[in-house]
Amino acid sequence: MLAGTAPAVPVSDHNRPGWKAWALLAPMVLWLILFVVVPGLILLVYSFCERDEIGGVMFTFTWENYARVFDPVYLRIFGRSVWYAALTTAICAVVGYPVAYYIARVPETLRNKLLLLVMVPFWTSFLIRTFAWITILKQEGLLNSLVKAMGAGIGPFDLLYTPTAVVIGLVYAYLPFMILPIYGSAEKLDNSLIEAAYDLGASPVRAFSSVIVPLTMPGIAAGTLLVFVPAIGMFAITDLMGGAKVPMIGNVIQNQFLLARNWPFGAALGVVFMLMFVVTYVILQRRASRSA
Amino acid sequence: MKSLKQLLLALAVLAGSLGLNAAELNLFGWSEYVPQDVLDGFTKETGIKVNFETYASNEELLSKLVAGGGNYDLIQPSEYAAELMIRRKMLAPLDKAQIPNLKNVAPEFKGLAHDPKDEFTVPYMSGTVGIVVNTDKVKDSIRGYKDVFQAKFKDRLVVLDDNREIVTWALYTAGLPANEINAASLAKVRPIIAQWVKLVKVFDSGSPKTALINGDVDIGIVWSGEAALLWNEDKKFKYVLPAEGAHRFIDIFCIPADAPHKKEAHAFINYILRPDVSKIISRDFPYTNPNVEARKILSPEELANPASYPAGPAKLETFRDIGKAAADIDELMTDIKSAL
Amino acid sequence: MADTDRPMIELRGVTKRFGGFTAVNRVSLTVKAGEFLTLLGPSGCGKTTLLRLLAGFEMPDEGMVLLDGEDVSHVPPYRRSVNQVFQSYALFPHLTVRENVGFGLRMQQVPVAEASDRIVAALRMVSLVEQADKYPHQMSGGQRQRVALARAIVPRPKVLLLDEPLSALDAKLRHGMQLELKRLQRKLGMTFVFVTHDQEEALTMSDRIAVINKGRIEQLGNASEIYHRPRTAFTADFIGQANLLESSVVGRNGTTARVRLETGLELVIARAELPDAASKALVSIRPEKIHISRAPVTAENVFQARIEEEIFQGATDSLQLVTDQGTRLHALVANESATQEAFHEGDTVYCSLHLDDLVIVQAE
Ligand SMILES: Nc1ncnc2c1ncn2[C@@H]1O[C@H](COP(=O)(O)OP(=O)(O)OP(=O)(O)O)[C@@H](O)[C@H]1O
Ligand SMILES: [Mg+2]
Repeated sequence: MLAGTAPAVPVSDHNRPGWKAWALLAPMVLWLILFVVVPGLILLVYSFCERDEIGGVMFTFTWENYARVFDPVYLRIFGRSVWYAALTTAICAVVGYPVAYYIARVPETLRNKLLLLVMVPFWTSFLIRTFAWITILKQEGLLNSLVKAMGAGIGPFDLLYTPTAVVIGLVYAYLPFMILPIYGSAEKLDNSLIEAAYDLGASPVRAFSSVIVPLTMPGIAAGTLLVFVPAIGMFAITDLMGGAKVPMIGNVIQNQFLLARNWPFGAALGVVFMLMFVVTYVILQRRASRSA
Repeated sequence: MKSLKQLLLALAVLAGSLGLNAAELNLFGWSEYVPQDVLDGFTKETGIKVNFETYASNEELLSKLVAGGGNYDLIQPSEYAAELMIRRKMLAPLDKAQIPNLKNVAPEFKGLAHDPKDEFTVPYMSGTVGIVVNTDKVKDSIRGYKDVFQAKFKDRLVVLDDNREIVTWALYTAGLPANEINAASLAKVRPIIAQWVKLVKVFDSGSPKTALINGDVDIGIVWSGEAALLWNEDKKFKYVLPAEGAHRFIDIFCIPADAPHKKEAHAFINYILRPDVSKIISRDFPYTNPNVEARKILSPEELANPASYPAGPAKLETFRDIGKAAADIDELMTDIKSAL
Repeated sequence: MADTDRPMIELRGVTKRFGGFTAVNRVSLTVKAGEFLTLLGPSGCGKTTLLRLLAGFEMPDEGMVLLDGEDVSHVPPYRRSVNQVFQSYALFPHLTVRENVGFGLRMQQVPVAEASDRIVAALRMVSLVEQADKYPHQMSGGQRQRVALARAIVPRPKVLLLDEPLSALDAKLRHGMQLELKRLQRKLGMTFVFVTHDQEEALTMSDRIAVINKGRIEQLGNASEIYHRPRTAFTADFIGQANLLESSVVGRNGTTARVRLETGLELVIARAELPDAASKALVSIRPEKIHISRAPVTAENVFQARIEEEIFQGATDSLQLVTDQGTRLHALVANESATQEAFHEGDTVYCSLHLDDLVIVQAE
């Protein structure tokens, strides 16, 4: 049996980048060091410091900031942020999957047009789009006028400045980040695999759950990561569409830097937040590689 | 750090000798508080180029100054932030000879608590934080915080998204001094605030008038300038100074101690104190104008705006710096709001 | 071999169009239970489309598809007892060999114990028991092919469809698999519909062959019929090789007729082959049916020709002949022992054609 035996050539030697590769990567590496590693380290250092009266950072070591992160108040806010982000991710997945799948299956010319439509919102500033939603959802807004004009005798709905509005805003903002990676893996999906499933007696539902979903898992995982993590930290939508009523972890971090003049605590929150990102990433990565 | 500063200084000197540094002003001010017309007019008259950067709160301003980010020549804090900066020796004393228009400032804006000898600061605009009522929707008479925060107004309120403001209103309601904030006073107002936040529909400091105009809420506790704009829009929006007491804020201009262009900063202060310029500011941002000469040339409607120039006696107080209690306020409010 | 005459598949006037293009054109066909039927034709002739109509991936625009007596024209694939071995195998990359093979049973909700027995039996049949826990990407092409086969057989379908299942294999492996498949089909007694564009493969494996051209069945018959008695020029040319000779009828008697080629060469053919009214005939003769000798022989249809080109092909010698009249013919002669004198270019030889080897075919 030759099949499946590992090749005798040491693969790693081929994969080790030479100096030319490093030269090509240099701008990227430099960029990462300057704008990711260095700020990350500064954040880490600050998170163990104390603050002075005016909000400056004093370089005296303390665990206090981390102790405060695990205060029930902040844990509750963390928990709520995770819950909103999870809900947003789930809705994005449920809404985005059929869209992505459909786009991946239509003829190529139409496909590119549809993809363009998915990306069109990015041409406008995020804030302007959020204000557009305010115009739609407000008490005397588009949606309520429409309901009124239809004369259904219901409404007006109280949508703006509610948790529902926050979730609508989050889903709207992050949906493309779910659609695009799922599209990426759905497009690669070999149609004959789906036909093979039907052929072997799988109804459309079974074919979807036992073949299509597992095979597009890498896309779902990437989409989940791209939606979930930023959604946890989002603060503009909570402020603008949620009426700044319920603080999310993003708001709390922002407040530490801009309002409470407590950079060390903000840094500690940021570090914990980054750790969460890494953990989520590792878990999803494991799962994706197992199913691929 | 030091060598970097020396390098920058050397570069500045070099640039100056080459005539590049001739006329520039790095202005760090509130977003939406200085009319573009005024900036353009100043550049046109003096040839000084204005680099305008903005912030959304005093705390943001303080953060950036402490972090040592920019080379600001002129900043625009509120009175309590200025007080802190004076105490920390972060401001340069003013050279009054360069500001002849100082004579236009009304006497009641002189010698205030944050800068008793008027050494460092010049008032820009003043205002109050008060109640706006949409009288089409609300027929009750609203006189103070207690009338606003009633169960029947649940989800019909917009208030400033500003923790110190909210705590201050609660202190007034409880009959406590607004500028003495400590663990005991915070513990007393905590249940009051916990009751209040449940009734609020929107917290917004940037543009609280939006929710009122959109009809999403009927009552607000907002900056007087916002209230004045609402009144200009529709006379149904009535402004009331809370009976329990209200915050009077004074936004001022001052010069950081290490400002590179102090001369230009003085020129700008003198420029905005000119009555014709000050009138433009009042037109765009109808707060209370501390410039007596400017007030003389305002239109009768502008002067009649009850939010800009509230009538009648009211208990008005400015904020004082409260030091580390700012963080306690933040923690209290985060705690209360997160329980919603 | 068909053990009963029960029809397992019946196509009645089935037509499938893609836009304005007719991929399958009024095809009628009956496949008996247990039969090994091959669809043979050039690329793009509609073989896959026909197979997809049987599997249920395409619905006919006209006509009817019957499976075991039941009209399934509009029954979706997952409700047809028909399984397919795909051209590209279409193994599920996220499942092991065992899970791939068991997929159909899982969909049918066969109890776990029974399913695992059947899976092992199927894997044993294709000698892959040891590989059961590998993933498809860890297997060779031939092994994947066998997994695909096992996966399609395990649910015990009434009909197994195979779309060029061997085309990705190298010649040797392919030959072995041809025999293995045929043996398997006999053992299971299952109805196989096999698609290929390789005529040799079709001839080796099939009970019957349907020659397809441009969406139509050109001829249906067993290997020998198709080879020896092609009905059309297309079949004659596509299956094996053929010299196609245009001629006009110059006389008839008793059981034979006489035709004259354009060059003037006259040949005698069997009368029965020729329609009564025909004045022209297209005559097909297979290269290996042209008998060649150095000495004159006494038989029908003897003429002299010169060897214009000779190519050594191992088992056979390929000769290009030009008759005295100028007719060009392609002949294949067996290579006898190396000591015997071979034919050479420039030699003049005697050719003879047997009456029965001259077949009249329809022009396209
Ligand atoms: N979905 C489709 N849409 C349009 N045309 C199609 C479609 N499927 C097949 N065709 C056309 O129908 C014809 C027959 O295709 P089919 O796949 O049945 O050929 P085939 O005989 O299997 O060829 P090959 O030996 O190359 O696999 C081809 O001309 C093809 O272009
Ligand atoms: Mg095909």
